Amino acid sequence: MSITNLLENWSDFRQQHPSDDRPHREYKWAMSIDLDSCTGCNACSVACYAENNLPVVGKEKFAHGHSHHWIRIERYWDNDGREFADQGAQFLPMLCQHCESAPCETVCPVGATNHTADGLNSQVYNRCVGSRYCNANCPYKARYFNWYDYPTTDNVWPEPMNQQLNPDVTVRGKGVMEKCTFCVQRLTVAKSNARSAGRSVLDGEVQTACQQVCPTGAISFGNLVDPLAKVGKQWMKQQVELNKDKQAKDAEEKAAKLRGYRILEGLRTYPSVMYLEQLRESAI
Amino acid sequence: MSMLSRRQSNCLLGELLTMYCFLRFSILLVGLIFSAGSYAVNAAQPLTTADDLGPKVEQPIEFPHDRHAGDAAKGGMQINCMYCHTYARRSIVAGIPPLQKCIGCHQNIESVRETPRIKKLFEYWEAKKAVPWKKVHDLPDFVRFNHERHIQRFVFAQNKPVQEACGYCHGDVKTMTVARRQKPLSMGWCVSCHQKDHPVDATSTKTTHGPNDCWQCHK
Repeated sequence: MSITNLLENWSDFRQQHPSDDRPHREYKWAMSIDLDSCTGCNACSVACYAENNLPVVGKEKFAHGHSHHWIRIERYWDNDGREFADQGAQFLPMLCQHCESAPCETVCPVGATNHTADGLNSQVYNRCVGSRYCNANCPYKARYFNWYDYPTTDNVWPEPMNQQLNPDVTVRGKGVMEKCTFCVQRLTVAKSNARSAGRSVLDGEVQTACQQVCPTGAISFGNLVDPLAKVGKQWMKQQVELNKDKQAKDAEEKAAKLRGYRILEGLRTYPSVMYLEQLRESAI
Repeated sequence: MSMLSRRQSNCLLGELLTMYCFLRFSILLVGLIFSAGSYAVNAAQPLTTADDLGPKVEQPIEFPHDRHAGDAAKGGMQINCMYCHTYARRSIVAGIPPLQKCIGCHQNIESVRETPRIKKLFEYWEAKKAVPWKKVHDLPDFVRFNHERHIQRFVFAQNKPVQEACGYCHGDVKTMTVARRQKPLSMGWCVSCHQKDHPVDATSTKTTHGPNDCWQCHK
């Protein structure tokens, strides 16, 4: 591959996955998060810690940015002059957006992060060498690095707490990158069960851990290819299209009434997570 | 005149000879490179060599697989693998049978009741303790292997004999006493089969290859 070819056909190389001539076949996992329902309670984050064997690193390491919350609640404080206790905040759960054209994938020197056929951005721990390029290139800062060997040196799961570890998820060692997997261990089980029954995974048959615990039901997750899936209906209703970096609805006036958007869409990452904007008092 | 022409022809002959030698040498070289190349290609194929043999695992009871699953001509009982490893067709793991299953048959088989291995078996049974079988085919923790998918595909969809289907990964267990790992069970070895086109079922000509994305097997 020559450099001129690379530069001239850059868009072809960049936009690998979401294209009309190569649509997703059976599954395209996607999510939508209703920020109007989100109360910022952090239950999703806690559920993720439990499901995916995330180490609790403690205050000091957290302050150094060594945290491991695959889904975190970002706070945006209201700037209306009120002080903290009365000051309002808006919450945004941030997780790996499973970009269709993921910036992290192109920079991995060893190919440890790839795109799966189901439209997931995969991370293979035993292949990762810990260069952290992917973390540097992720616009959402949704990747987390294992700076320590938490189970042994930090003893984050002292006996008998190691019994709570999920056997379907690897306990990551020192020096590898990790991130939200859309609970791929659950997806695999659901897909296998569906296969045995001779059908595709039904909507609602599989839930991610964060979706399962969300008390307000702000998170929906499902198969975008399935026309009956709730998540697909939401995407369609909000006129958010997966393979567009600029939504057609944004040019029209009715866009003001549609709440769906994807974060940093203009970077042409084609994220798989759609957010539903919080309703403001002025809009009602 | 004739002398000259002979000298010329001699010269030509000599030239030809050196050329021939050179050519022969280069052909030899090319042959060498080719053979080395084909050796490398062969090495990537799923060969089972002595190096692939797993370590000998000492089991609490030397379970004779050959006696249970072996051919009738060799004194085997030809029991289906899935009679004991019953979860293979519906679960990720094949499962080690509970002691109850062994006893279920063996309490009615008087002829071998007093042999040392069966005595040991009944000792566990009377002490109400499970037999601490050791794992023979132990995959790394970051690998997800699903027995159900493979058994459903090869045994139930393609109608392959059970012992053949299990044997793709476990070797010819019916000739072993204590099972021993026969295949490398490395990623390259798994992929070599996943890349092949396998028929979808016993009757159709449609083929597909195994899944090849990372998260299918890695977790």
